[in-house]
Amino acid sequence: MDIQTIDHLCELSKLNFNDEEKQKVMEEMSAIIELMDTVKEIDLTYDDTKDNNSIKYSEVRKDEAKPSYPTEKLLSNTEPQDNCYVVPKMVE
Amino acid sequence: MKLYPTIGLEIHAELMTESKVFCTCSAKFGGEPNSRCCPVCSGLPGTLPVLNSKAVEYIIKAGYIMNCDISRFTKWDRKNYFYPDLPKAYQISQMPRPVCLGGYVDINTDGETKRMRINRIHLEEDAGKLVHENRISLADYNRCGIPLIEIVTEPDFHSAADVTAFFEKIRLMLQYAGVCDGRLEQGSMRCDVNISLAPEGSDTLGTRTEVKNLNSLRAIQRAVEYEIYRQTELIENGERVIQETLHFNDATGETSSLRSKEDAHDYRYFPDPDIPPIIFTEEELAAIKADIPEMPQQRYERYTGEYGISDADASVLINTKSVSDFFEAAVRAYNNPKPIATFITVELMRRINLGEVDADDIPFSPEDFARLVELAETGKISKDNRKTILREMITAGGSPEAIAEREQLWIKEDNELTEKTVDEILAANPKAVEQYRSGETKVFGFLMGQCNRALKGSASPAAIKQVLEKKLNNI
Amino acid sequence: MDINKVSLSGLRKALDNKEISAVELAEEYISKIKTVDPEIEGYITVTEEQALESAKRAQELIDGGDSRPLTGIPLAIKDNICTDGIRTTCASKMLESFVPPYNATVIEKLNEQGYVLLGKSSMDEFAMGGSTQTAAFSKTKNPYDTDRVPGGSSGGSAAIVSAGTAPAALGSDTGGSIRQPSSFCGVTGLKPTYGRVSRYGLIAFASSLDQIGPIANSAEDCGILLNAVAGTDEHDATSARVPVKDFNEKIGQSIAGMKIALPQEFFGESTDEEVKQAVTDAAKEYEKLGATLVDCHMSSLKYAVAAYYLISGAEAASNLSRFDGIKYGLRGEGRSFDEMIRDSRSRGFGAEVKRRILLGNYALSSGYYDAYYRKALALKQQIIKEYNEIYEKADVILTPTAPTVAYRIGEQETDPVKMYLADICTVTVNIASLPAISLPCGYNSDGMPIGMSLVGKRFDEATLIQTADAYQRNFAAVPNKYRA
Repeated sequence: MDIQTIDHLCELSKLNFNDEEKQKVMEEMSAIIELMDTVKEIDLTYDDTKDNNSIKYSEVRKDEAKPSYPTEKLLSNTEPQDNCYVVPKMVE
Repeated sequence: MKLYPTIGLEIHAELMTESKVFCTCSAKFGGEPNSRCCPVCSGLPGTLPVLNSKAVEYIIKAGYIMNCDISRFTKWDRKNYFYPDLPKAYQISQMPRPVCLGGYVDINTDGETKRMRINRIHLEEDAGKLVHENRISLADYNRCGIPLIEIVTEPDFHSAADVTAFFEKIRLMLQYAGVCDGRLEQGSMRCDVNISLAPEGSDTLGTRTEVKNLNSLRAIQRAVEYEIYRQTELIENGERVIQETLHFNDATGETSSLRSKEDAHDYRYFPDPDIPPIIFTEEELAAIKADIPEMPQQRYERYTGEYGISDADASVLINTKSVSDFFEAAVRAYNNPKPIATFITVELMRRINLGEVDADDIPFSPEDFARLVELAETGKISKDNRKTILREMITAGGSPEAIAEREQLWIKEDNELTEKTVDEILAANPKAVEQYRSGETKVFGFLMGQCNRALKGSASPAAIKQVLEKKLNNI
Repeated sequence: MDINKVSLSGLRKALDNKEISAVELAEEYISKIKTVDPEIEGYITVTEEQALESAKRAQELIDGGDSRPLTGIPLAIKDNICTDGIRTTCASKMLESFVPPYNATVIEKLNEQGYVLLGKSSMDEFAMGGSTQTAAFSKTKNPYDTDRVPGGSSGGSAAIVSAGTAPAALGSDTGGSIRQPSSFCGVTGLKPTYGRVSRYGLIAFASSLDQIGPIANSAEDCGILLNAVAGTDEHDATSARVPVKDFNEKIGQSIAGMKIALPQEFFGESTDEEVKQAVTDAAKEYEKLGATLVDCHMSSLKYAVAAYYLISGAEAASNLSRFDGIKYGLRGEGRSFDEMIRDSRSRGFGAEVKRRILLGNYALSSGYYDAYYRKALALKQQIIKEYNEIYEKADVILTPTAPTVAYRIGEQETDPVKMYLADICTVTVNIASLPAISLPCGYNSDGMPIGMSLVGKRFDEATLIQTADAYQRNFAAVPNKYRA
């Protein structure tokens, strides 16, 4: 676990840390990854067809449209403009 | 050194379901901003996706018509990236277990049949729409969750013509299958094109670029041609092609680089724990397959074979599904396919191409149209007046019979009137009469036309001909 | 009527017999919350007004003879379960002012019965933690000793039930978050089989592991609450299509002949002697009741914590990506989308949540996926296999709920690895989608409660409740000072 890896993870996670925090995070993450490394000891292969969480096609939802939600209520946790969510300008 | 382009496609097609793929909001196009949304497709915390079985049925149909293998076990994955048109910050898609694998579609270009291989087709959700203002962008999630299939081809294409022929064929097939409405102007189908160049005969492919989000045939063709040109210039000038994602500018006809950050994305696909994988039975798949309607190629063969319609007319008919459907209905009403086909390809298509008639919203019924053809075929109206009546049906509406009545366009076979009219025409054209009698029989056509026009379709051409011949030969 | 000594069935009788009105009952709890909760900090939001209003409506139902098991019964709801129009924070600065525009399915079900919401209970931020000290506000204390943690993440719900500021509560359990705080606070908590209760409206931590469940004073009360919230839900495709019967139907049936397995690995050196002793003594009690103890093993237990943190971290990283400040939640500043969402997330999330997100993205990122995430999925299959082997020769499994009793605030929760390892006794149950119930089985030398867990076969909550109840009938619980 080095600063470069932490920087990459911060990019993937969209998180900022100052240098001091980053140092601490790196130390913690090193210890955590060490704990995670225990899974490498065991020799197992994953077979997704053996998970018993699948359902039958006949159990999948029927295609039926229902009324949507009131726009105002959906947007009640933000300050919308023209019933849209407002974002800093995205460059095309 | 001749450079040879190699092209692969990713085609996105929206499916014509009633509801969205993971919630029950309407999947219709458009609407006021955020009016076709609910807590699920708006990505509110705590909400869960519930898969739409119709979307699954449709992708299976798409797979069958493109000769794919349908997986008996399929599951969904999350593709993680941050973008404001993606409220959950992940797109539900499929990675290792897509519904359709393998497959091919044959196209005809450069006078040969080419087999274009399909790598996979998977089901995913569409993203929302951003509108850019001065300093901000506005996000509308109405489109979020519209079901999409992504058709990924093998790099089997080598020209813009290959690409457009394939795209058009796929569009038609998806329309015929009832899976996608193919309305390009509404963004129902979009195409990403991967292009690389390599010296002809080379074993390795060159560095590829990807032009994203092309949504018309013309844009696809221009983008491919421009990109081949641009890469050729680079290589011939000894420069390198950079692997990147490009945007095609419709106004300039050029491609430009999208942010390079996009390319660096690590999407961290993993199985979506909210959506159980699905297992299909053979019976379920067989039922879906049996439900696929006739494909354009089959219709074409039926038209040219069973109906004896010309290759050209048959092509015109099948190339617009709504027109072909109209033709089918008209033939059901009046079982005489050939004149119906001719009248559609000559007259109705002209009106459509002139923009007078919307092919998806023809303002009269196929039954009325069929009766109009039948009236002409059975000598009740003249061929010319058939056109006149059609024009009236377009502009004023009404049944062909009512229009014929109103405009007095019935063939009356009034012999007295015909004889009188022929006499007048002959009297007015003594020179032509003389020419005919001296053996220049081709002026007969001219005289026929004159009589025809004067009678305004109230006599059949056969009746006029008979009177005209009699008068010319008897005098 | 003494609300410190009631059961849900007792409250039901009192309400139906008009010994107390629903409004009076709600008022009693509100008044107790006002006295006690400032010390315990079990609630993030107390919904006094709504409570009194819904109590009034409940009373009308009772008066009309239409009462159902939870009509007029006051409850606390963990603050990661969405309540329409009522702030739902996940104890995070990110959602400090978030008001959901919809109800979780469990809330809809409780509303149908006419329950009375007392308030939203505290938790570790986004349910990540085992101490309720990662909460951005209302860092709950243990009613048995307010210098100690209540456990977590459902520490608010457990402490509330323990202190008697609600007769029962809903929590959620991803890796032990109902059972461990129940154990620390001396109450009973049931984590249902995955899929038993709809997750719709539960703000997701790790979707393949999360499950809502009851925390109450007894196994029977847990059953009453589970009866109300369980069942298939069209809004949750992972909710099980398994019929729901009365979870309390086996209560009172003899457990003679029942086979109870004790996997040795759960009684290893990392588990406190006093805890081991109490659980072993409980096992002997079961023998006296006619059960047979079965010795067994779970050899992959040593990998379970890592597998759990990899799977839950990966899912959490993805689940929490939607918090970008645009649609809801803390909105940061920045000229670009990227700057803005980084600011929102960096300010909105606490340290533990950030660690989980980083860990999850590490496990999923290209080059690491196979070594970590995929391996964790393989371990999940292995753990399920080992449980299945145990259930071939046993009906239920008995383990400690946590290796220790509640520890002192500041003692452990600052060391992430130490915290993670403390989940060893509970995580395999979530990994294997099994139901489990934690109930008090003794007190240590400091008077802190010790909990044991019974783990059942999938969808066999009824046997767990039966077995827990059989023990509870003879168990002398020692109430804390708030219940005395």
